[in-house]
Amino acid sequence: MDFLRPASWEEALAAKAEHPTAVPIAGGTDVMVEINFDHRRPDVLLDLNRIGELHDWEVGEDTVRLGASVSYTRIIENLRSVLPGLATASHTVASPQIRNRGGVGGNLGCASPAGDAHPALLASGCEVEVASVRGTRMIPIDEFYVGVKRNALAPDELIRAIHLPRADGPQQFSKVGTRNAMVIAVCAFGIALHPSTRTVRTGIGSAAPTPIRAKAAEEFLAAALEEGGFWDNGKIIPPAVARQFAELVSGAANPIDDVRGSASYRRHALGVMARRTLGWTWDEYRGNERSARCA
Amino acid sequence: MRVTFTVNGREQEADDVWEGESLLYVLRERMGLPGSKNACEQGECGSCTVRLDDVPVCSCLVAAGQVQGREVVTVEGLADQARERGGRATDGTTLDQAKGWQAKPHGAQAAQPGQLAPIQQAFIDAGAVQCGFCTPGLLVAADELLERNSSPTDADIREALSGNLCRCTGYEKILDAVRLAAARQDEVV
Amino acid sequence: MTTLPRVTGEAVARIEARDKVTGAASYAADHPLDGLTHAWPVTATVARGDITAVDDSEALRDPAVLAVLTHANAPRLADAGDPMVAVLRSPHVAHHGQIVALAVAETLEAARAAAGAVRVTYDEQPHDVVLTADRPGLYTPDEVNAGHPADRRRGDFDAAYAASEITVDAVYEVTPLHNHPMEPHAATAVWDGDALTVFDSNQGSTVVRSTLAALFEVDEADVRVVSEHVGGGFGSKGTPRPHVALAALAAKAVGRPVRLALPRNRIAAVTGHRAPTIQRVRLGADADGHIDALAHETVTQTSTLTEFVEQASVSSRMMYASPHSLTTHRVARLDVPSPSWMRAPGECPGMFALESAMDELASACGLDPVELRIRNEPPVEPDSGRPFSSRHLVDCLREGARRFGWHDRDPRPAVGRDGPLLIGSGVAASTYPVWVFPSHAEAYAGSDGRYEVRVNATDIGTGARTVLTQIAADALGVPLDLVRVSIGRGDLPAGSVAGGSSGTASWGWPVHKACTDLRQRVSDAGGHVPDGGLFVRADTEQEAGGGTEYSRHAFGAQFAEVQVDTVTGEVRVRRMLGVFAAGHILNPRTARSQFIGGMTMGLGMALTEGSFLDPEFGDFTERDLASYHVAACADVPEIDVHWIDEDDPHLNPMGSKGIGEIGIVGAAAALANAVHHATGMRVRRLPIHPDTILLGL
Repeated sequence: MDFLRPASWEEALAAKAEHPTAVPIAGGTDVMVEINFDHRRPDVLLDLNRIGELHDWEVGEDTVRLGASVSYTRIIENLRSVLPGLATASHTVASPQIRNRGGVGGNLGCASPAGDAHPALLASGCEVEVASVRGTRMIPIDEFYVGVKRNALAPDELIRAIHLPRADGPQQFSKVGTRNAMVIAVCAFGIALHPSTRTVRTGIGSAAPTPIRAKAAEEFLAAALEEGGFWDNGKIIPPAVARQFAELVSGAANPIDDVRGSASYRRHALGVMARRTLGWTWDEYRGNERSARCA
Repeated sequence: MRVTFTVNGREQEADDVWEGESLLYVLRERMGLPGSKNACEQGECGSCTVRLDDVPVCSCLVAAGQVQGREVVTVEGLADQARERGGRATDGTTLDQAKGWQAKPHGAQAAQPGQLAPIQQAFIDAGAVQCGFCTPGLLVAADELLERNSSPTDADIREALSGNLCRCTGYEKILDAVRLAAARQDEVV
Repeated sequence: MTTLPRVTGEAVARIEARDKVTGAASYAADHPLDGLTHAWPVTATVARGDITAVDDSEALRDPAVLAVLTHANAPRLADAGDPMVAVLRSPHVAHHGQIVALAVAETLEAARAAAGAVRVTYDEQPHDVVLTADRPGLYTPDEVNAGHPADRRRGDFDAAYAASEITVDAVYEVTPLHNHPMEPHAATAVWDGDALTVFDSNQGSTVVRSTLAALFEVDEADVRVVSEHVGGGFGSKGTPRPHVALAALAAKAVGRPVRLALPRNRIAAVTGHRAPTIQRVRLGADADGHIDALAHETVTQTSTLTEFVEQASVSSRMMYASPHSLTTHRVARLDVPSPSWMRAPGECPGMFALESAMDELASACGLDPVELRIRNEPPVEPDSGRPFSSRHLVDCLREGARRFGWHDRDPRPAVGRDGPLLIGSGVAASTYPVWVFPSHAEAYAGSDGRYEVRVNATDIGTGARTVLTQIAADALGVPLDLVRVSIGRGDLPAGSVAGGSSGTASWGWPVHKACTDLRQRVSDAGGHVPDGGLFVRADTEQEAGGGTEYSRHAFGAQFAEVQVDTVTGEVRVRRMLGVFAAGHILNPRTARSQFIGGMTMGLGMALTEGSFLDPEFGDFTERDLASYHVAACADVPEIDVHWIDEDDPHLNPMGSKGIGEIGIVGAAAALANAVHHATGMRVRRLPIHPDTILLGL
């Protein structure tokens, strides 16, 4: 095995080009488990820890550029106001030790359906900046997950940053598990209201071969909100609408029975989380609107 | 490969390190620091918790090569680190409590009395140690909590220790120990 | 002579705590040795079959690899009478995960790579791993764990049950459970000629020593087993497990020290687990709740390697007055990993069933569950007719009810609400037998006024080293800091296993005896210890070896309050209280932690811990700590513990009963009963999953 320690992003890309099978390692929280358990034995490990820029973030006017290795702890501490959905999701990641090391780049690199960041990323409508010696491209999150633990990266590409729209409305994340901490999700759900475009986006984790959006639910809700003038009048969402939204979220999932939970439980739980998180986000939206009007 | 880094304030070097090797393995097998325990190798139990550039991490999930040039503190270095911070180790111990641990230490390498970090002393006094296998990781995590937050709430303590499993104590005494250390830290300040 | 205040009963701090908090305490895998090599297991990928070929050519290509040991080439071990340690003796595979080869190399990495490169070919045979209550092949064992008869009948259960006004008939299921002590099983072995030294993680190195001597056909005196610090066991290290035999075997084969630290995800298959049980409980009572008929029938499984029968029906023989009683065990011999002891084997799953059924009976009779238990308090132990040496179950129930605020609750189910949460509380009784086994001890008085006591006790986290020092100091009449107790080495005077909550009684007794004797000798010498010191030996072969005219058990009452989320089905524990009567408590500090730790494991059993044997592969699907959920601190609420001090003269000189296991007994039932009170729903299969709750609501 080779252990490559590029000192700069350019060096990292060159190394990846030269060794397309090299496994990037940043926080190590997934890669090291696989090595410790002998599930994989890469020919080359490509350590990204020394590349400072991967640990940086920039909050712009409209978007946040989040370095691939920014730890979940940093996200929670620094980005809650601009990326509330992702920050909430980050808080449910494993344990403090893991949150201190792991980052969104690793979650995207592994593309496990159980990764905690995915629902929030899907709901935010972010783009993933990937690069190789051939150049840089932006992959919309909707096109990023292509199969079970597979993503849209080419073999010579590395994830550099995630460009997330700054939250323009309330965002929530919810996760069900058997324990209060340190738990892999039985299933998870993220929602983001986007008042500026009058749209709603969602993300579902652990309930399909890849992280997915519940598009039919999003479209239904956007239409219902528009039709009722809810964005403007800030009225309570009728229970029937919330129920229908929840059902559509459940229906979007394609879960399996496994030791963590049955498929039917996952569907049910998703519906519950969809209804709850919609309630929370809408309450927050109404509150914001009211205070905006009073101000 | 060769890896050089600082452990408990001293520069250390390891040769012929396998590239997939964990920091935990390097500490235990190459640097003679078996205090950090290997109990799950997947970041679930926290028994191998050390500080890497001040931050608590599971050393089983850090590749050895990633610590090149960096600083690591293990349970073996807690007392020294506390002394540097100016912590006082033996405050507030009652006579009864003292009686117990002043009995002749059993391990040949036992530290001398008075050399403990406050959190170590609190773990002894509160009865937070049972089989002791989770203890080193818990101490490192709890010590870091108290460094960053001198008067943690119960929720803060539970949060900070949520990545450390203990199979013996049911956690109550561990929480007590952190509260005790925090209270003593308050007295000193 | 001045009289010192007694230190037994005092909250003395753990003697070895300083070593443990500084990282200086050495566990089995912590001992540095010159020339140390590492071993890694190759485990069977079939659940039943025979090895037809082993190809190690790829594995041996790396010069760092010293050997790949298999049944075909390993030095042959003698038969020590324990199939669990009969390693690499046969080509037969009895279960998935069985260790079929061992790679030994200069580094752990090379050993692991070699193990991965070994190609084993099997003649695979169909396997049978699914336990059901009506499956073919269930048989009645000669006896069940702890030497109890498989079946007991008193009176005429069928007739009495048929005639009962109120009946309960329910089936309770517990999945396999894993001990998962924080320290995975590990051993470091080194030979010097015919002399073997092993640093091993176990619950009793006396047995490890005799077993290794038998396996390798050497003198016990030539086998040194060091187990000064052990990172928990909970039964899974109660007898020698394969790792120690393999480490010693490999060290012999390669002529170098060998360390074998089993990875977490391999220990479930080879170090024992709690066998699953399917328990049918039938209770027949009158309208006032007096039980006339009680049947507890357990179906469980064992492996083809060993017969271990979880004695789940046994506590129903002694808990309640039951004129007509039927308690049975049926077992299936399956192609599964061998079950073994896990904290309170028998009582733990058995009392989940019995105490759940008692709650069902209370509901059926419209009686308070505390009152129902009080009404069925037996005057003597029902099964044997012997008097109880002490029994304070009723006091525990009453004291617990008072402290918990039990009588303030609305007894109706599903009425306690807090928004979407349903709140409920439950109670269950707890019991654990008093075990004591013969042990030996030596006490030495030095002319410098110091004392040394030697006994091969094992401190697996219980506080044995500390409490034995307290017992010795009191018996000697000297301050604690003048006494040093040596434990955890096979060459010390033989001590029994740290199991069955028997340690303090079994080791403390000869320590007490030796120290009492030594104190007399010192006194006889005019209070002056001569140069060269004074030395005495004691054993309890007589005192602890025989039977007793009393039925001896500890008792307790467990109370729990839960909240059930009606929307997600998640159950969270709000508080738990345990009140126990376990003789004299010798060290409140270590005892309290033992009780709470047991209750916490019971919480895990009720809500988070569960394992599943995959029918296709024949192995557990939850093999590591990411999938097998040990409760984390965020799951464990306020747990309160109290005890009623008992003055029981029929136990041992310290008047103590064991406390290591009773904490887990009844905890799961109290929680399941609380879930019933919260929701009106009976969950009879553990762990209680959100799925189950939601389907039922």
